[in-house]
Amino acid sequence: MNKFTKEMVDDYAEKLLIGLTDEENKMVLDEFEEIDRNIDLINEIPNISEVTPMTHTLDDFTFELRPDEAKESIPIEEALKNAGATDGREIEVPKVVN
Amino acid sequence: MDKSIKELHELLKSGQITSEDLVKESLKKSHEIEDKYNAFVTICDDATEKEVTDSLVSGIPFGVKDNYSTKDVLSTGSSNTLKNYVPFYTATVVQKLFDAGAIMVNKTALDEFGMGGTGTTCHTGPVLNPWDKTRMCAGSSAGSACAVAAGVYPFALGSDTGDSIRKPAAYCGIVGYKPTYGMLSRYGLFPFASSLDHCGVLTRSVEDAAIVCDIMKGKDECDMTSWDSSHIHLQESLTGDIKGKKLFYIKEICDLENYPNANEELKAHLENFNKTLDLLKEAGAIVEKISIDQRLLNAIASVYVVISCAEATSNMSNLTGIIFGPRSDKQDVFEMMKDHRTLGFSPLIKRRFIIGSYVLQKENQERYFRNAARVRRLIVDKMKELFKTYDALILPVSSGPAKKLDEDKDIIDKNTSVLEEHLQIGNFGGFPSITIPNGFVNDLPVGVNLTGNCYDDENVLNIAYTLESMMPYKGQIAKERE
Repeated sequence: MNKFTKEMVDDYAEKLLIGLTDEENKMVLDEFEEIDRNIDLINEIPNISEVTPMTHTLDDFTFELRPDEAKESIPIEEALKNAGATDGREIEVPKVVN
Repeated sequence: MDKSIKELHELLKSGQITSEDLVKESLKKSHEIEDKYNAFVTICDDATEKEVTDSLVSGIPFGVKDNYSTKDVLSTGSSNTLKNYVPFYTATVVQKLFDAGAIMVNKTALDEFGMGGTGTTCHTGPVLNPWDKTRMCAGSSAGSACAVAAGVYPFALGSDTGDSIRKPAAYCGIVGYKPTYGMLSRYGLFPFASSLDHCGVLTRSVEDAAIVCDIMKGKDECDMTSWDSSHIHLQESLTGDIKGKKLFYIKEICDLENYPNANEELKAHLENFNKTLDLLKEAGAIVEKISIDQRLLNAIASVYVVISCAEATSNMSNLTGIIFGPRSDKQDVFEMMKDHRTLGFSPLIKRRFIIGSYVLQKENQERYFRNAARVRRLIVDKMKELFKTYDALILPVSSGPAKKLDEDKDIIDKNTSVLEEHLQIGNFGGFPSITIPNGFVNDLPVGVNLTGNCYDDENVLNIAYTLESMMPYKGQIAKERE
């Protein structure tokens, strides 16, 4: 397995659109080292790979579909109120495609 | 405002006080507490009285953690990425309290988006502990815990993904309760880690916690994980009778011999806990010590970090500064988003996003994310097996009283990590879990926690209520240490 490196941390940060200082980068690596040590211990638990991963918090969780009924929705003006720039009924952004 | 909900209700009903008096007092106190402890993001100075009805909370002020959406009231999640965000709708549980006649007087500060356990990463600065300003309140519901402990109002909403209601409650000497997962709708709560997030409440008594959650609970078509709890009546279940109830505690967490380097605070805290077990026995309960595989316990903190970071990375990808939040003046759309996120997020949550992203990569998923979910299953299955025999698990909260503000930076400490992090079990399984005050160590409050099986909230609260009645800490207001 590849060790988590400073370069990898920067690469992930870039993909997440987050800039990191060197100090922040080191904090990631320090915490990860501790997690990695514990994950090694997890792998020592007998037959761990045969356990079904837990995905829902409650055992008896069931999906229920709501009736397919149209309901009143929020007015566009309300929904746009927090956007930094708008144009009519749309949110305005700098040109993405040249 | 230092009274219980029922006491205030009786005073309101009899006309000895008015809702207007309470709102004025609560707002005045909010400003005092803000100046001293930095507990709030917003104080709603325009809050006004409401009609007093038969609902116990009518006419009474309360606080809301700032990661709940409140229509037309700033809701920041204590993050610079949402420092100007004003929602256009109100969270279901808040709306239910509004409908019952309660009055929101402030929005309380939290660790940014709930992703911290110290109360020191709020964009408005650290929240100070009302018992000792050099100490933290713990987090993330730091402002809510501080304000309830300081007597601003009898209750405030919190949220709990790892222990964010139940640990601040302990550090501030009050009650913190998160019901079974899904009993309270999460619609309008800013999501952090959806499979672990719970709504809940901070109060100064178990009965008040029951009263508030009785009002807030219920199935909500806007939250598919909520369920019908109309058969559950929390306040009515508080009988004070626990004869024959069976409780267990965990040897690997509670025995002093597990901590060869224990300081005086930890020793006093565990000794105090043992005396509490005697009280339960006096009340007719059976208390037994059981042992759990140390490997599972040691894994708790890492399982939590892996799962919560992975879910958070996904949940918070919409924070771009484009559809809401302060917009960057960069001219390129990706540069805009990066600028917004780089300047907006604190170092702690940047770290968590990167860890979350790493564990979700295809090549890492099996080793980290899926293994964490497997251990979560093993821990929850073990607890459910024990809950077949026992009514509740009882454990001390944390390794002692509130830590110094500069002491804990949310990095896993392997020496006491199980003691510090075991409340996360309650989130892994969605179990109902409540912290109540358990006395003092070094003149600072400490807490004890009770956790039971899913849907067994009535039983858990009744045990907590009975234990609370045998100790002199119910309704206590923080007194700053000299």
